[in-house]
Amino acid sequence: MTAMPANQPAPALRLNDDDGKAVDLAQHGGKVVLVNFWASWCPPCRKEFPSLGRVRKLFKPSEFEVLAVNVGEEPDSAFSFTGITDFPVLFDRDSKAMAAWGVRGLPTTFLVDRKGNVAYRANGGREFDDPDIVSAIRQLLKS
Amino acid sequence: MTVTANTLGTASRTSFYEGRGFTAAMIHPYAASCGFSFGMQNAGSWPITTRLADWRAIGADGREVPFRLPEEWDADWERLGIPQAARIAFRWAQFQSENTFEPGDWIMGMAVLKGVPATPLRLVTRYRDNKGDHEIVLDRLTCAQD
Repeated sequence: MTAMPANQPAPALRLNDDDGKAVDLAQHGGKVVLVNFWASWCPPCRKEFPSLGRVRKLFKPSEFEVLAVNVGEEPDSAFSFTGITDFPVLFDRDSKAMAAWGVRGLPTTFLVDRKGNVAYRANGGREFDDPDIVSAIRQLLKS
Repeated sequence: MTVTANTLGTASRTSFYEGRGFTAAMIHPYAASCGFSFGMQNAGSWPITTRLADWRAIGADGREVPFRLPEEWDADWERLGIPQAARIAFRWAQFQSENTFEPGDWIMGMAVLKGVPATPLRLVTRYRDNKGDHEIVLDRLTCAQD
């Protein structure tokens, strides 16, 4: 992942999950948050998706969260791929959140630090339990 | 920098976009065009930018054929009243008109030509990094026959 310039506040992110409940990035202030924009028809999105669950398990819920933002699909379509997850899957049906975050392709992933700044960005698929990414998350947790 | 291109057939694209909310008739102009699925990876140490408008297919007869940009297709879809969800899926399945990607990043997407070049064709892909402008040529490609 690419380190971003310091003190770049993350855009707002408030979307419904598949139960229709609003989830807000701001609720997770004080945590490191991995925000992943994806779609079920996107092959690299599908390939990396299991690693979101794996990295989620490496950290305490009180310190780290994953928010998987599905772009443009119905919850049923997304759920048929994801099944039940340990982390929120949010729905950006009109892709406005994607635009607000400056996303230009899928998948795109951000790490937001404990102060709510965008610390890292990745265009294209990754394995999020890769040692380098886990190390970056650990460093963000210390700051 | 690495670039890959896979020829896309009409049937596979029709099926894909029908799954995204297009009808076969709506997507036919796109699906029947000479098209490819591209992947690009920045394996270097510097950011790279690329513009699809700078890329060309050069046919066996030497004629250059540009790509039709995603924005041009989206204007068609808007005019035809294609549902928003289908347009969103289409937009993000395309190789974007302009891309900037950092070391380690990679991008994928579909793109189609504005015409049908004489085959076999060469695809000239262009990008820019800290050292200037570069080309990667993919040779002996063809358009799908279905």
